[in-house]
Amino acid sequence: MKWIPNFNSSNSLRVIFVIAVFILLFLSSIAYKHNQDLNESSKLVMHTYEINVQLERLMSAIKDAETGQRGYIITRNNRFLSPYLYSRDKVNASFVTLKKLTADNAVQQKNLENLFKLIIQRFVSFENCLKYSDPKTYDKRKLDNHMFGGRILMENIRFQVDQMNDIEKKYLKKRLEIYDQEISLSPVFSISLFLTALVFILLAYRQISRDFQRLKIFNKRLLISSGLMAESEIIGKFSTWQWDLDANKIDYSDNQFRLLGVTPNSFVPVKETFLDFVHPDDKEAVAKSMDKIVEKRNLPFIYYKIVRPSNEIRYFKSTGKLLMDQQGSKILLGINFDITDEHLLNIELQERNRELEKSNKELASFNHVASHDLQEPLRKIQTFISRISEEDKAVMSAGGKDYLAKIEVSAKRMRVLIDDLLLFSRTNTTKKEFIKSNLNDLLENAEAELIEVIHEKKAVINASKLPKLSVIPYQIEQLFINLIGNSLKYNRAGTAPEISIESEKVLSEDYPDLLDQSIKKFHKIVFKDNGMGFDPQFKETIFILFQRLHSKTDYPGTGIGLAICKKIVENHKGYILADSTPNVGSVFTVFLPE
Amino acid sequence: MKLFIKFDINTICSLYLKQNLEEQNINFKTLGFGEIEIEDNLDVEALEALKNNLAPNGFEVVENQKSVLVQKIKDAIIELVFLEDSNNYKSSVFLAEKLNHSYGYLSNVFSEVTYSSIENFIILQKIERAKQLIIINEMSLTEIAFLLNYSSVAHLSTQFKNTTGITPSAFQRIIKKRRENLK
Amino acid sequence: MQKNALNILLADDDEDDRLFFKDAFEEIKIQTKVQFVHDGMQLMDHLMDPETKLPDILFLDLNMPKKTGKECLIEIKKTDHLKNIIIAIYSTSSSEEDIEDTFVQGANIYIKKPSDFNTLKKIINEVVTVNWHYHTSGLNRDNFLLRLK
Repeated sequence: MKWIPNFNSSNSLRVIFVIAVFILLFLSSIAYKHNQDLNESSKLVMHTYEINVQLERLMSAIKDAETGQRGYIITRNNRFLSPYLYSRDKVNASFVTLKKLTADNAVQQKNLENLFKLIIQRFVSFENCLKYSDPKTYDKRKLDNHMFGGRILMENIRFQVDQMNDIEKKYLKKRLEIYDQEISLSPVFSISLFLTALVFILLAYRQISRDFQRLKIFNKRLLISSGLMAESEIIGKFSTWQWDLDANKIDYSDNQFRLLGVTPNSFVPVKETFLDFVHPDDKEAVAKSMDKIVEKRNLPFIYYKIVRPSNEIRYFKSTGKLLMDQQGSKILLGINFDITDEHLLNIELQERNRELEKSNKELASFNHVASHDLQEPLRKIQTFISRISEEDKAVMSAGGKDYLAKIEVSAKRMRVLIDDLLLFSRTNTTKKEFIKSNLNDLLENAEAELIEVIHEKKAVINASKLPKLSVIPYQIEQLFINLIGNSLKYNRAGTAPEISIESEKVLSEDYPDLLDQSIKKFHKIVFKDNGMGFDPQFKETIFILFQRLHSKTDYPGTGIGLAICKKIVENHKGYILADSTPNVGSVFTVFLPE
Repeated sequence: MKLFIKFDINTICSLYLKQNLEEQNINFKTLGFGEIEIEDNLDVEALEALKNNLAPNGFEVVENQKSVLVQKIKDAIIELVFLEDSNNYKSSVFLAEKLNHSYGYLSNVFSEVTYSSIENFIILQKIERAKQLIIINEMSLTEIAFLLNYSSVAHLSTQFKNTTGITPSAFQRIIKKRRENLK
Repeated sequence: MQKNALNILLADDDEDDRLFFKDAFEEIKIQTKVQFVHDGMQLMDHLMDPETKLPDILFLDLNMPKKTGKECLIEIKKTDHLKNIIIAIYSTSSSEEDIEDTFVQGANIYIKKPSDFNTLKKIINEVVTVNWHYHTSGLNRDNFLLRLK
């Protein structure tokens, strides 16, 4: 069902929302990461700070030891040894802590080892100083050495410590730098993502509102058109119904109910209910076609009768088609037409037709039989007249002879009339068999028929090549005989008849007022003669049955010949025209369809 | 299967005649084209008997000289018409030569005996041949006209129609319908 | 022309036509013996009678009571000993279809009844003459078709 507009928004909306959600998730993951980094960096700072503190403690412990040692060496008071003793523990403690703290850093560990070695050396130097400052084991030189050595060691230790601090500081700096970098990007990233999400959401909103507008418009149109549809059903006397095959639900349009003679929506339609309305004569056929629809997907026109609750019989014509909408569900659409009026009209027409045909047939046979049976007595009259020999005539009175002659003339005239009438009736009644014929042959036959007159009047007939057409051969022959015969009969006194017959193909559009435009091409055959012609004001009446332009004494003629020509041409769905210039000649134009 | 059997009347007739005459013990001499000369002298009775014997079967005993001549003329004409390359012969010349008389004399005798003219007879024979050719149905009317020495199909048609009253095509039609009826 | 009189049979229900026919045959030079029957049944009875001497030429009117000329024609052509009779249809009809149809059914000659006595004489003269030609000149009887107006 193509007319249902495609609202794609549902799909794009889904996409948009999914994207937005993803963006949000992404954003939150970034925030989380941030948090973690912050934690990390503060931990780092703490870490460095701790190492720093520990290293200072270490230094101060050693300094304490040094101070103690110096004090002891100077005063030899034992009270100065206790910081020295405690300091060892402090150093060890600090060292252990430091070892833990630098566990992740191999370089620092190495440094720590070096420091430890130095510290041990210092302590050794301390011991030595103590030993060599002891008056018992006093050695000034060694004492000075060790004191200086101790001093250098202290410097080294201080140097190492500083180095270690520096390294830590550097690490911190580096990590803080990285952190800064990460931080600096994040806000921009976040904001741009946020904006993107915002844009998407706005787009979605726009789409939704647009779709909504369209929906409103379509809805409105739908309402209007369904309103019109309902109206047109009422006016046009037809109705529609839909059968959703999947849901097995049937829907009748309002007019369907009305056509069946009930009020709209007075019952819920099911398949069987319709059959209840169908006239018993047609029930079986209708039921069968209803079943066929499903398999055949369409229903060719079916005609049947229904009976309304009021017992009124109406004539229906129905058709249907199986349709599939976009979702693939099958809907059967059916249309019913109430053709009661046309049907009754049709029946009347048929009746009248039949009567006409019958009366036609009667007329035709009357025509034929009359002419035929009239010939018999006429023939007898003529034959008996011819039996009256010269001897018999010799003994008749002058009056008697004269009357006899007049009888002969009248009898002859009657014969011609009957012959022509017979011909005319034959043009109508015989079954019309169209055979593809060469008109040149038919023309030849016609000329052969008239051969005596042609010779007698020394006539000249010139014909161009005539076409081959689908015609009733003997009728066309008769047409030629009549037309040529006329030209021979009505020749100019003293002038030998010259007849020319020309044929050409023409288009019906060149003769819009004359020719039937539904046939494209015609053959135009023109019969021209140099006879006495006729007054052109009669160019139409000349074809009327029994119309004559001359008295029967001047020119023998029945007034049927041209009427026969017209009938023949009409039988072939053609046209014939006449025109003339008195004392110059006449032109008869025959149009025959291709 | 459709077969056309053309039979030569002359062969059949001479055969029959020979049989008949031999049965009657009459001596004879075959003269050629459809003629037998009886050598014996038959008396009136025998002659009557012979005539009665032969007449029912279509044989005519010709006594009259003129009748003999007429018969010869007819035979000659038939030969002329049914000859394959008859185009080159002018009938009057042909007959005069063949029968050793002037054409005028032949013409007179013919008319006297048959009450119709040589020309008519020639036409009759030509049309007869045309009919045969039409029945066999292997030649077109144009070809037939040409073979029979007509100047055109129209000429043949006209003469055909004048002789028989119907056109060659009508004749064709009738023969065809007759055949269909027999099926 | 010939030794024996020609045997002619006319089947026609019209008294006047029979009269014309008889008079015409009396006035032509050829020797003929003319017989008449009045309708189709009489015709067939006459022909089937073994005593009957069969005619050389049968003139047959189409419009006859009891049995039409056409019916007789068909019957005659179906009967072995009758089918070789030369049949001339003698009728008032001039319908092309009728004429052709009688030829198809086996008629040899078609004559339209003339309205002048002299024409009638001429016609039967011609019929007899042509018929004689067919007898004497070895012409094929099956192809004997002649139409006279």
